[in-house]
Amino acid sequence: MNTWVRVARYNLVGPANYLVLPCILPFSFAIGAVTAGRSPGHDAAAYLSSFFVFFAVQGWQTITRSLPFGLTLGASRRSFYSGTALLGMTLALVSGLVLAALQAIERATDGWGLSLIFLRVPYLLNGPWYATWLTSAVCLFALFAYGMWYGIVHRRWGMLGTVAFTAAQALVVVAVSVVVTSEHWHLWSTAGGSFTDLTALGLTGVIAALAVVLLAGGHITIRRVTV
Amino acid sequence: MTPAISVAGLTRRYRDHTALDDVSFTIPGKTITGLLGRNGAGKTTLLRILAGQEFPSSGSARILGAPPAENEDVLRRMVFVREDQSYPDIRVGQALRAASWFYPNWDAALASSLLDDFGVRADKAVKKLSRGQRSALGITIGLAARADVTLFDEPYAGLDAVARQIFYDRLLADFAEFPRTVLLSTHLIDEAAALFEGVIVIDRGRIVLDAAADVLRGVATRVSGPSLAVDALAEGRPVWEQRRLGSQASVVIVGPLSQHDREQARSSGLDLTPLSLQQIVVQAATGVLAPALEAEAETGFETGFERTSA
Repeated sequence: MNTWVRVARYNLVGPANYLVLPCILPFSFAIGAVTAGRSPGHDAAAYLSSFFVFFAVQGWQTITRSLPFGLTLGASRRSFYSGTALLGMTLALVSGLVLAALQAIERATDGWGLSLIFLRVPYLLNGPWYATWLTSAVCLFALFAYGMWYGIVHRRWGMLGTVAFTAAQALVVVAVSVVVTSEHWHLWSTAGGSFTDLTALGLTGVIAALAVVLLAGGHITIRRVTV
Repeated sequence: MTPAISVAGLTRRYRDHTALDDVSFTIPGKTITGLLGRNGAGKTTLLRILAGQEFPSSGSARILGAPPAENEDVLRRMVFVREDQSYPDIRVGQALRAASWFYPNWDAALASSLLDDFGVRADKAVKKLSRGQRSALGITIGLAARADVTLFDEPYAGLDAVARQIFYDRLLADFAEFPRTVLLSTHLIDEAAALFEGVIVIDRGRIVLDAAADVLRGVATRVSGPSLAVDALAEGRPVWEQRRLGSQASVVIVGPLSQHDREQARSSGLDLTPLSLQQIVVQAATGVLAPALEAEAETGFETGFERTSA
């Protein structure tokens, strides 16, 4: 058995964390249905975000909780990271498929008989089933990788490093915003003054590229982690 | 023949102190070696580097002829049981099942039997185990893995005397059947002394003693009795420690005593007590081995008695 697969199985050996995943959707749905679902527009799509956020938490937990024993079992840092990312990708693909199936049911039943918008996230997840599958899987995996990277930074540099990591990201976002909107570079005007021409699938491509960056960042950071 | 563990010039510096300072030694295959020393001496840092879980500042560590860090060919042939091992949120049985996927020589029957011996239930959550039971789980993984190189770092913290004896017995029995290289760090020196074929003592990051256990067992004798008789027997010999109280004296003489020496001691009313391994380690850790080293040529006990640093 390949070490990556062993690591993925090891992460699943205590299934409690992962069994939470299928419980989040009905719970978020119930909250959305009795709150936003009863207001005009019946738009409870924001409650779906809890499912996505949990992927980031899950990625973080694989590092903070599972890494030390994983290394004790003889996995290298590289294999642990790759095997865990493999698990995250598999979970994202399966979850994306479930979301696409549930979205089809929501459409067919006119919002579960309540005119509720829960899985049809405007713009992002509101296309054909395969687009919903692809976009949600890519988003979920990107968040998982993001959580893993955070966990690695925390394990390597502690709380101070985590705060510095967060601050560095804020700086990057601000710097990118300044560069993009700066008249000097004409980037914003070149884009027509907005990014509204970007389709959901185009945005999925951007998020996929971001996921690759996050994955590479985690891979570089974990190489010198000690336990 | 490639040694199972070989370390050369290993140094690990942290910001404000040096945990390991130019450490060098080799351990042959299929032996049980004791890694001894005081708290904070550098034992855990050394074992973590050997297990590839920590990185040295300089120097090299090789396991089965290759560097262990990020080397899965080595890592899958090695198991490291540490006192402060943290586990994910899993049950004992799940931890063992995960271990069985990683170690090619895993013995599930041995693991199950060890759990029974230690009285640890497989369905119990690891986070609910007592300190001793967590140690028992670590020992179970370490022994059942049957890895070519087994590193134990204070594996029996919190274990009662009966459980510790079970560990010693099971380790020896399994070692006899499946010989491998075991490096055991412990503070309970005399208790584990019978296991060791070699002993490495580390103090303040430096190796102060690296010797065969058999050689060490006869290396020093405490002589006590009337001062004049003690002085007569000790004259011209390397001495580690001297105490006087009135007309009585006690010294630790380094080197084997001849039959003539023993007869002289008996006729002079002297007590002869061989120093235990623990007492020798205490001497090593407090830096009083130097006289013995200076006198190696005279005493002739130096075979296998190697001092690698002052």
